[in-house]
Amino acid sequence: MAKESTTIDVGEPSTVTKSASHVEVDEKKKKGFVAAAAGGGYKRGLAIFDFLLRLAAIGITIGASSVMFTAEETLPFFTQFLQFQAGYDDFPTFQFFVISIAIVASYLVLSLPFSIVTIVRPLAVAPRLILLISDTVILTLTTAAAGAAAAIVYLAHNGNSNTNWLPICQQFGDFCQATSTAVVAASISVVFFVLLIVISAIALKRH
Amino acid sequence: MKNESTIIDVPAETSSAMKGKAPLIGMAKDHTTSASGGYKRGLSIFDFLLRLAAIIAASVAAGTMFTSDETLPFFTQFLQFEAGYDDLPTYQFFVIAMSMVSGYLVLSLPISVVTIVRPLATAPRLLLLVLDTAALAFNMAAASSAAAISYLAHNGNQNTNWLPICQQFGDFCLKSSGAVVSSFVAVVFFTILVVLSGVALKRH
Repeated sequence: MAKESTTIDVGEPSTVTKSASHVEVDEKKKKGFVAAAAGGGYKRGLAIFDFLLRLAAIGITIGASSVMFTAEETLPFFTQFLQFQAGYDDFPTFQFFVISIAIVASYLVLSLPFSIVTIVRPLAVAPRLILLISDTVILTLTTAAAGAAAAIVYLAHNGNSNTNWLPICQQFGDFCQATSTAVVAASISVVFFVLLIVISAIALKRH
Repeated sequence: MKNESTIIDVPAETSSAMKGKAPLIGMAKDHTTSASGGYKRGLSIFDFLLRLAAIIAASVAAGTMFTSDETLPFFTQFLQFEAGYDDLPTYQFFVIAMSMVSGYLVLSLPISVVTIVRPLATAPRLLLLVLDTAALAFNMAAASSAAAISYLAHNGNQNTNWLPICQQFGDFCLKSSGAVVSSFVAVVFFTILVVLSGVALKRH
């Protein structure tokens, strides 16, 4: 194998070259650090917001479940057709509501460690993906409970003349008030879950 | 500015050896970019097919509920002899919501096609994920509220003296329950779509 030689003209003297290359290397290092911190920085901010949203959602779901659970009313008089007592266990839909919102609240508590991991390691993909998938499933459960209970609450307030379903809120005012509050709280938690999913998606996004 | 010269020794190789080496480098590059684009493109195609299936599920739900009228051939003293979706506000909400969801799905098909054509772009996928989450919540709300009313229609409630109307209106109950089941199928599709978009958004 014959060796060939070639001559290359280097433009600048050696002293200038040394200092120029140093500056370049420093700038490159700086750029690298800035890029990592910036990507990590806004993702960390999103993770902190996610954690705070979860805390708020825990409070709201526990409130919704307990308000529905304690929504009892006993009337001081007799009527011919209606019972003189109303509680959440008189309606299977409200029973479903209490149980599923309680499940949602405990899921949120269990997901707090994952959220903390995303704060500590903002560039890790696996915890965020787990949170996104499980949040989507829990969103469907929460919406199901809130929607079904809302349908029953609407009936209790308005009744239905076509099916002869009488509005019971006329007699059970306190019970109706409590159940309506619980449904509103569950709907707010649905909004929180949608926000949580969107935050996880934005944080998962690659650059 | 003084010009400096330096001498670099280049080992000579035969031209055929050099020709043989060059194409390999080019092929290696193509392989790495299409690998990550490849599986994401597969996810996008699956997303598109799921969307088509969800369109069918949602429109079947809306249509079945809309046409679930029943007129009984006789009179009863307390109940109407006619039942339709517009007798129950919850069912009206169901029909409107499922129609809106089907319309949204049809409009999202072009965006899904964009994610197939450009598998590495994140903006269309993020848009689809956000819109799909909202549509999922809307769909589930309609499905669950209609399910609660269907349950009442089938079983009634002794404590509130709400009579089960399915005893009289068998066909109406059957069709409305079928519509509710179809919309729950659409909810499952939406959940898979959201998870798909999340996985495809993932960075490497």
